[in-house]
Amino acid sequence: MRIRNFSIIAHVDHGKSTLADRILDLTETVSVRDRKDQMLDTLELERERGITIKATPIRLHYTGRDGIAYLFNLIDTPGHVDFNYEVSRALRACEGVILVVDASQGVEAQTIQNAYLAFDNGLEILPVINKIDLPNADPEGAIAELEEIVGIPADHAVKVSAKTGENVEAVLEAIIELLPEPTGDPSAPLRSLIFDAVYDSYQGVIPFIRVFDGSLRRGDVVRIISTGKAFEVDQVGFFQPEPAVSDSLGPGEVGWFTASIKDINDTQIGDTVTSAGNPCKDIIPGFKPAQPVVFSGLYPTDSEDYGRMREALEKLSLNDAAFTFEPETSEALGFGFRCGFLGLLHADIVQARLEREFGLNLIATAPAVVYEIKTTDGRIRRIQNPSELPPPDVTETISEPYVMMSVFSPEEYIGGIMKLLQDRRGVMKDMVYHGRRVELRYEVPFGEILYDFHDRLKSLSRGYASMDYDFLDYRPGSLVRLDILVNEDKVDALSVIAHRDKAYEVGRKIVDKMATVIPRQLFAVPIQAAISGKVVARATVRAFRKDVTAKCYGGDITRKRKLLEKQKKGKARMKQLGSVEVPQEAFLAVLSGDE
Amino acid sequence: MPGITAKSGVICPAGLSETENTAGNKPRGPLIEHSGRSAGMPVKEPSHQVVPVSEPRSLYLHIPFCPSICPYCNFHKMRRNEGLVAAFLERLTEEAGALYAHFGGELDTIYFGGGTPSHLSDGELAAVIAILERTWGWPAKKETTLEADPLTFDRNRLDTFGVLGFDRLSIGVQSSQDDVLRFLGRLHRGHEGLAAIDMALEAGFNVSADLMTAVPGQDTARDLHTLAQTGVPHLSVYTLTIEPQTPFARRGVTVDQDRDADDFELAHTVLHGYGLERYEVSSHARPGFESVHNRVYWRGSTFFGLGPSAASFLPVRGAIGERRKNHVIKAWLAGEPAEVLPVTAEDYLLEMLMTGLRTRHGVELDTLAARTGLHLEERYRPVLEDAFKQGLLRRVGRRLIATEQGLLRLDGLLRRFFQQPPQD
Repeated sequence: MRIRNFSIIAHVDHGKSTLADRILDLTETVSVRDRKDQMLDTLELERERGITIKATPIRLHYTGRDGIAYLFNLIDTPGHVDFNYEVSRALRACEGVILVVDASQGVEAQTIQNAYLAFDNGLEILPVINKIDLPNADPEGAIAELEEIVGIPADHAVKVSAKTGENVEAVLEAIIELLPEPTGDPSAPLRSLIFDAVYDSYQGVIPFIRVFDGSLRRGDVVRIISTGKAFEVDQVGFFQPEPAVSDSLGPGEVGWFTASIKDINDTQIGDTVTSAGNPCKDIIPGFKPAQPVVFSGLYPTDSEDYGRMREALEKLSLNDAAFTFEPETSEALGFGFRCGFLGLLHADIVQARLEREFGLNLIATAPAVVYEIKTTDGRIRRIQNPSELPPPDVTETISEPYVMMSVFSPEEYIGGIMKLLQDRRGVMKDMVYHGRRVELRYEVPFGEILYDFHDRLKSLSRGYASMDYDFLDYRPGSLVRLDILVNEDKVDALSVIAHRDKAYEVGRKIVDKMATVIPRQLFAVPIQAAISGKVVARATVRAFRKDVTAKCYGGDITRKRKLLEKQKKGKARMKQLGSVEVPQEAFLAVLSGDE
Repeated sequence: MPGITAKSGVICPAGLSETENTAGNKPRGPLIEHSGRSAGMPVKEPSHQVVPVSEPRSLYLHIPFCPSICPYCNFHKMRRNEGLVAAFLERLTEEAGALYAHFGGELDTIYFGGGTPSHLSDGELAAVIAILERTWGWPAKKETTLEADPLTFDRNRLDTFGVLGFDRLSIGVQSSQDDVLRFLGRLHRGHEGLAAIDMALEAGFNVSADLMTAVPGQDTARDLHTLAQTGVPHLSVYTLTIEPQTPFARRGVTVDQDRDADDFELAHTVLHGYGLERYEVSSHARPGFESVHNRVYWRGSTFFGLGPSAASFLPVRGAIGERRKNHVIKAWLAGEPAEVLPVTAEDYLLEMLMTGLRTRHGVELDTLAARTGLHLEERYRPVLEDAFKQGLLRRVGRRLIATEQGLLRLDGLLRRFFQQPPQD
């Protein structure tokens, strides 16, 4: 059987998953009964949010116009910048990609990023212009942009409407024609790459593999190269997209196997799996570990869930190799984990998956970037948490990460976008006109775009602008540590790092917010924000003037005692700061960074 | 016809412990075995010496019937239906019989609360009284109170109340202002409430009147002066409290915090001028006219509770005591056993702070230590020290007393005790 392995890549919302759906229809891979939209978005979260988070493989059968039966392995991939790592892993299992471009939007930031990923992996690119049914579709413009901005030949691009199904069959033919057939030696020792994995409580780790040489069948004893451990294969199979059992997987095939791998540390994504008795000579290069760029603390709401949370993190990290975690203790929140993510959406998704797939209830602290601190003794270290900051007198410089931000937008919104980038301390490096569209390139501190930058950009441009960024380097900045004082006492857990010019504004926001969420106390409580001991903002939690139950007779005593006990339970996480009771919500108001 | 006798106004001299009351009053029945919440949850045997509270000498009887339903009220009440009063009397007979059989004793105080007890007819009241007469005896030795609505009695009926044996009336006046009364859903007018006080005083009763404060639109100062000028020796002044699930709560009525605090201070100032002293958060009385019955609640003494939704506090083996809460009328009539909540030494300590600190008398530290084997001052040292420093509490001899400021913010202060783990 002739094989084609490919991924569909695109900017967010350009129609990857819809195209995948249509291809599934055409190849009659899924029965009408099981048919649903976003077929390959198998996570509940993906279907709910209408986005792809995980790369999902599926096997298709297609008989071409040449009369030959083909076996396709399609991997649907995420489009959001945070999930590039996921895309790059999926690409390792492929020989080619379908690069989808929305005919009404043209090339956008992620179009370029994803196309480069495919280049870097040496993959053949098949351009597909989608949404040609839209009234404002400009397929020729999109093709011109592909050639001009991305720099790939695109005159052979297939123009389709995934929504109506128009011309989708031509995509299948183009796959056969344009994308290379995998090469591999069926008689060589097994050489396969784990590109993803999930954990199943009954079957243990289920690695997703791409076979390069040899074959894998039930009963084989395989060795995981990095750990040296050997396992007997229970089952092998492919994706439909649910796992389906087959006899074997041969060269060029994409599938999964189970081998009672109970310990998730026994394997890792990027590992080579080979035959234990007849190992392959070359190890397939693994994946470059993803560098988390955003850190936030995740804490179980119920401290008794700490152990369960650790287990959940380990299992999830198997399926999402891009996040890191290490234990962390917070004065305010107790025991939890400091987690590293590839971006804010990634952080949000990881938290949501932990909560849904593992039934945990979590509290997340505000995402923060990693700062580089140079102390007066010349030592340099990176900190993920403002509370780790050394005191100002021994701090020489605080450096923050910068990114090269590229924004694509129709020219009418450029003024507002430039203003936004300037407000975020961005410095313009380049501005290129592509017809009526403009590409802006700015160097911006990453911390400035963490929160609402994307939302602001979208609303400024009525949704037309798109963005992408790459990490540049660390640069020293006029950064200060902003301390929060409750009733004159400094609360370490609440310290934040802010740019000097914005410290007042940040401090003002925090103290105002705290003053509204801390319940009235017996006495007025000052909440202050200070830099090096100098107060820059202050708010006051008002005192109760009267706080006493009117009636307390025979029947009220029990009621009142129960009420007080209930309050005590509810306030188990209440932090006593001096004589001030500060509920956890107050910490979260600051730590979560929600507006 | 009862007058205001000396004994009806007796107050305990400072330092007198309630345990001394048991002298010569041997319980007839054994202490009830501790019933706990469930068999699976035995109360931990305390390492310290716990002295169970003494036998009850007070009785509260809940009469749930009302002529109309007030929108702020969260007490158990209902309009009376055919046969309901008869069923009530029947069940009451059983309940009193069982309790008396177990504990026996005599009563110092009896309190008929509600609901609107005076809404019962004379015959029905007499039937309730007969139940007590056949058990503990009637009237009580020190104080026998009837809660009465101004519209339920005239001069003649007051004589009947007297003949029946009541010596104290607690009259639900609430306000002297018609618009305020209308807002509160009361059926009487301002002048009718004042007339009711006058009549009751004239008839020789020890009288208390209820006054509501912080009601939207109320001239609280005028109400305080008007009521005090009747010469009533006891006033209960309650801040309008929006209880959950009441019509007021559903309508979204709120009480202004500052208004509430202003009225609270105003009550103290105005009533003091009439010789009515605040001796509990909401209770003001001329010296000697403090409620004897209510003191039982505030000093941690035991009491019987009869009738639907009535609460009791009873001595029990293995704990300080046991609080029981009767079900509302349907389940109570069906004879369902009361909800039981054991009171451990630690619970009792906190309850005494909850109730005792409400009173001018305060909490008797030595009495508390003798009963619980726990020393409040050691167990809650940090909270106490803070409170002393902040002027919320003071110690007078061996009593712990809330200051004016402490009284105003007592709930916040209590939360500190509840949230602070006790130090062993």
